[in-house]
Amino acid sequence: MSGSRRLDALRAAGVGFVAGVPCSYLKRFFAGCNELPAGAYLPAVREDHAASACVGAWLGGRRALAAMQNSGLGYCLEVLTSLHLIYQVPLPMLVSDRGAPTDYEEHRVLGQRTRALLDLFGVPWREARSGEEDADASWLVSASERDGRPAALLVGKEADS
Amino acid sequence: MTRAEAVALALSLLADDDIVVAADGAISREAYREHDRPRTFYMLGSMGQVASIALGLAMTRRERVVALDGDGNLLMGFGGLAMVGGLKPPNLHHVVLDNGCYATTGGQPALSRVVDLAAAALGSGYRWARRCHAAGDARDALHSWLAAPGPAFLDLPVEAADADPAPRVPMTPERMAQRLRAALCDSRT
Repeated sequence: MSGSRRLDALRAAGVGFVAGVPCSYLKRFFAGCNELPAGAYLPAVREDHAASACVGAWLGGRRALAAMQNSGLGYCLEVLTSLHLIYQVPLPMLVSDRGAPTDYEEHRVLGQRTRALLDLFGVPWREARSGEEDADASWLVSASERDGRPAALLVGKEADS
Repeated sequence: MTRAEAVALALSLLADDDIVVAADGAISREAYREHDRPRTFYMLGSMGQVASIALGLAMTRRERVVALDGDGNLLMGFGGLAMVGGLKPPNLHHVVLDNGCYATTGGQPALSRVVDLAAAALGSGYRWARRCHAAGDARDALHSWLAAPGPAFLDLPVEAADADPAPRVPMTPERMAQRLRAALCDSRT
């Protein structure tokens, strides 16, 4: 057990590799990642590199998850569209859900368009719920593997469980 | 030495179970033409991500992973050097076929003419990094690089001229990915 029910549920759903860039909404999750065995967690320098490393890990036989703040989706677009979506590589993503009207300015523009952006590129998403970590994890894995594509679990501040 | 000759030479020195990540554009097309192998991943787009894909492979596999990168490509995803240098996978060998320009788009000069890529790799934490200075030394340089402790980095200058462009890889991207994954997952090490 890692101290993060979210991470434990994803591990139980078969996630064997995580690459990501931290977000304060995902503190508990990333604290758990830092305790994973060597080779199971890559602290990436930017979100597109995280998503690309997940392609390598998937080719290597692991179920690989990318975790990030929703602002990182912008960096990821090139990789999602010219790697995952054309090679049909599954990518479960854990994405923080910043950008509420009460959130800081720098989060609002992309934050308020996160769902529209995911819809535009055909990335299925769902909002994570605290207490439903196992159901969220199995949805995320099956949504990404059904057609071999990215899928996103959006995590609000209260769902970093 | 042309880039295609350098690609062919590098591939000829590898073991059958080595895993190759070939950069998008000319490097992938030449890698396919010179020596197609089931354990090569041919990138089509996502410029700048060669080292990151190779790192994901190196962290999850025991076999040697060889990244065939370009200079413009590496510069675009320079953060990849920090990830490889920071994580230090001993089985990752990274070579840059350095023509000092963006050959595919018309030969516009690249900053690799002034940026010391090997010094950047060393400063990022690679265990071994060199620049090969003369074309006649390429074979020896590639041998030393493959024998060095990983992560190892070689900056290999190649000609900018592209007299004999290789055609696109005649495989769907889905097939490229599935072929490599099947080759790896049917023989777990």
